[in-house]
Amino acid sequence: MEKKLQVRNLRISFRTVSGKLQAVRDISFDLHKGETLAIVGESGSGKSVTSKAILGILAGNSIVEGGEILYDGQDLLKISEDDFYRLRGDKISMIFQDPLSSLNPIMRIGKQLTEAMLLKGKARQRASRANFNEKLKLLESAMIAADPSNAATAKEKCELFDKFEHHHIRLERDYNEAYEAAQEALIEIEHMLFLIEKNAVKDAKGALGEIKDFALHAINPDVVSDVQATRLKSEAESLLNGISAQIKTNNFTETAGRLKSIQAILTEAVAKVHPDYFAIGYAMQMNALNATGTQEEQNAYYAKYMDEQYMNEFRKMAEQAIAKNDAKYAEACEKAAAAVREARAEIEAGYPAEDKALESMVSKLTALVNASINPLNTVKDSVLYTFGGSLKGFVETYMMGKKTNGAKIREYEKQMARYNRLQARGKKLDWKVAAPSVVDLELVRENILLLMSRLLEHYNELAEAEKTSDKAEKAQKLINMLKESASGMVDKVTKRRAKNKALKLMEEVGIPEPRKRYKDYPFQFSGGMRQRIVIAIALAANPDILICDEPTTALDVTIQAQILELINKLKRERNLSVIFITHDLGVVANMADRIAVMYAGKIVEYGTSEEVFYAPAHPYTWALLSSMPDLDTKEKLEAIPGTPPNMIYPPKGDAFAARNRYALKVDFEMQPPAFPITDTHWAATWLLHPDAPKTEMPKMVSDRIKKMKARVGGEANA
Amino acid sequence: MPNHQNEEVLLRVEHLCQYFKSVKAVDDVTFDVKRGEVFGLVGESGCGKTTTGRSIIKLYDITSGDIYFEGRRIAAGTKSYRDAINQAREEMKQADPARKAELKQFIAEQKNAMASAKANHKAQSCVTDIQMIFQDPIASLDPRMTVYETIAEGLRIRGEKNKEVIDKKVFDVLEMVGLVREHAGRYPHEFSGGQRQRIGVARAVVMNPQMIIADEPVSALDVSIQAQVINLLNDLRHQMGLTILFIAHDLSVVKYFSDRIGVMYFGKMVELADSDELFDHPLHPYTKSLLSAIPLPDPVYEKQRKRITYDPLAVHDYKTDKPTLREVSPGHFVHCNEAEFQEYRRQLGL
Repeated sequence: MEKKLQVRNLRISFRTVSGKLQAVRDISFDLHKGETLAIVGESGSGKSVTSKAILGILAGNSIVEGGEILYDGQDLLKISEDDFYRLRGDKISMIFQDPLSSLNPIMRIGKQLTEAMLLKGKARQRASRANFNEKLKLLESAMIAADPSNAATAKEKCELFDKFEHHHIRLERDYNEAYEAAQEALIEIEHMLFLIEKNAVKDAKGALGEIKDFALHAINPDVVSDVQATRLKSEAESLLNGISAQIKTNNFTETAGRLKSIQAILTEAVAKVHPDYFAIGYAMQMNALNATGTQEEQNAYYAKYMDEQYMNEFRKMAEQAIAKNDAKYAEACEKAAAAVREARAEIEAGYPAEDKALESMVSKLTALVNASINPLNTVKDSVLYTFGGSLKGFVETYMMGKKTNGAKIREYEKQMARYNRLQARGKKLDWKVAAPSVVDLELVRENILLLMSRLLEHYNELAEAEKTSDKAEKAQKLINMLKESASGMVDKVTKRRAKNKALKLMEEVGIPEPRKRYKDYPFQFSGGMRQRIVIAIALAANPDILICDEPTTALDVTIQAQILELINKLKRERNLSVIFITHDLGVVANMADRIAVMYAGKIVEYGTSEEVFYAPAHPYTWALLSSMPDLDTKEKLEAIPGTPPNMIYPPKGDAFAARNRYALKVDFEMQPPAFPITDTHWAATWLLHPDAPKTEMPKMVSDRIKKMKARVGGEANA
Repeated sequence: MPNHQNEEVLLRVEHLCQYFKSVKAVDDVTFDVKRGEVFGLVGESGCGKTTTGRSIIKLYDITSGDIYFEGRRIAAGTKSYRDAINQAREEMKQADPARKAELKQFIAEQKNAMASAKANHKAQSCVTDIQMIFQDPIASLDPRMTVYETIAEGLRIRGEKNKEVIDKKVFDVLEMVGLVREHAGRYPHEFSGGQRQRIGVARAVVMNPQMIIADEPVSALDVSIQAQVINLLNDLRHQMGLTILFIAHDLSVVKYFSDRIGVMYFGKMVELADSDELFDHPLHPYTKSLLSAIPLPDPVYEKQRKRITYDPLAVHDYKTDKPTLREVSPGHFVHCNEAEFQEYRRQLGL
């Protein structure tokens, strides 16, 4: 399965008044495409910190001490704020825990819901436009470079492309607006008819007004044809006639009739084939709009016309240009790879004595790698893009560490000496000396080497791919991309469209009467409703990875079930990857494909959902399972005694040992390594060591597992 | 574990209505709480369960209905009387003289009833006997008061002046809830979530109440801490013979803890039964949908679970026959109309 996100050896601490608090201590996990990973643990176990690190919103006093978070080939711990701006919301989105503090108290809900859509919509439009212009220009110059004798033709062709795309854009925009209005109208009509049938009409005037508005906007020659349009117009405009009398008598038969005829017209319109505006735009530019017949026939005619007149030749030219261009960049890649190999050998031998040498190496490598990025590629090569930034970050960390490590260690030794002196005098001290926060220079060097190796690997892959690449296919892809960017330009998120989408989202997350509540302020909502708004905002941008930080803790069961179903549905439909953070194991069972149980900044058990629930191995997982009642529980609950340890002074052995009934002596002295149980399941507890005494899980848990197995077996047979 | 030996009604809520302007937060809710039992109140957020709890301890002036505690009326609303008077006056406009005299008498009676309701409502006689534990342990403790001051405040207000008595009571209650004497001098921010909720419990218990209204006492806590607080409440209940009105939305916890359960939906009590009976034979479609939504720590089962959705418009037909709360089988009440009542009885095999 494709790995969407990889977290490697992540360590995060917080600077506090009383010392360095180790929130996350060396955790690693993978998130695959289309799966849900649940992170389970008590508050303070570091689960929220992990998620915030992924989103780049750690608090100001945080220190990322090591590790990497790889997404899309880049390390999220190192990329700039500008790069993050493109990721947050669009690619990685988060549902926050506390709805009260994640909503703006002085902004209406509607505005908060649409804000991101409008901003991101504008940004996407701008990006599409820039992308289109840039790629077309690059293609033009590549064509000229490939065949200088034909420069004039290339120029003319590209200009023509630009021109007829304008027609394409204009037509498509009008069509999209009308088509969407028709769809909206149909949904509203269906709802209204249902209400009429059930005799539960409320606010008839408002609802009908909206339907009328939508229906009138749906009139467009390509959506609703002439005769139908006249009928639609007259029906829609008379929709509100005599409505007062109908409201008084509560008899809506007349309106229902009108709605049904509008519904018939629009259903027919929506089912029609979409016109191929790309080809039509070209025909329009050439003044050759003369096709007749059905929409399919017209589409086929224009597509053929365009291919014959223009596209076949253009495609051939693009193919040539790309072949030449690729050869050029393959050379640049080789050159950069050689330089990187050389630098790697140098670093392997040790850091250079002079900082200057290191700095010049960084700038040289960055320049070479950047020069090897092929701008005509349709997919952004993020490994190459981010190499320079990552390398610079590492080198800067190294130089800072070199400068300050000595002083920090001296300070620590001084304090330690004082501590020992006081203790020797027989004083009882209620404080300890926190370990110095020095930079591990060796670790940084390893990171640099790893970064370089990965780059070299990537160059090898590129070279392999180049050998087998099909230039004709590449040309077609580039042309498709230009076409899509053009469509992206017209994909304007208008206020009306954003509002409709927001209303739909509000309905989807279960807010009754969304139209009324759209203009309310956050304080006018109850806790559960507020949380739903937050979820709607997170889903608005259609993200790639969704991080849910205790999204349903404040909600009641029905809503919780609804929200979980919603997240599951979206996950299936959009192939989302979800990180689900919670302390409620019941919720996890429904959601997770895999589970990581966290305690005191470490993952203590990791496995598929079935493994963790049916064969838990770590005492902490046992404790979590036995401390929650289910519907059959009658006996006293087994609460976990005490509270989690203070992570300013992390315990020497297993962090859970002090609260663990099954703790062995070794638990207090040494941290247990991860003992594998199956290929996908491991737990960090000494109980799994071959020499450990045999321990059974608590009776309550084993009983429950037996019961669950019986129930599932019984239902499968039934 | 249902406790059937004791049938003495401690708290009776009759036709409780609590309107906020046009919003009917609680609409005609009736139930009894027997001495020594735990009565669970469940429902989704905004269905009026918290409002019911708060109305009982008179944090709100109730709109209409009566609340009896140990047989005494402790709170009463006046809207029903006012409505009756208005209706009578309306009728009087067209009535003949004989009927008029009758109506006059009726209005006078209603006015008397209203006055007595107001008087009863004002009396503060049982304030110490009902105590409340609030949902959010952080927001419900004064950050500038030490634990000792927080717990002792109620005693002081009740007129206890003897420092030794207060000391003893506070320290006893601290130990009872699993804290130690040394904690008395600390401030709330120095405690963890579970410990803070213990302080909330201590503050309620120190008044030696007969009844505690626990408004979502565990929903803001971690799972491991939740178990601590539930165990604590369970122990206290047996030690002190407490009656508890337990308001929560976590059905597993409610089932574990309560003897009887009332299910609320949009201000109405839709079903009320013994907890085992309710979970084994849910009748009202809303209850069914609620039960079908409970998540269990069992992945295979969870993936098969089908949730039932509740759409009142689609399920009920209340155009002609309005629903009321009816007793389908002994102790099992459902909000339904006549046709549904017969249908439910048939389902139970009665």
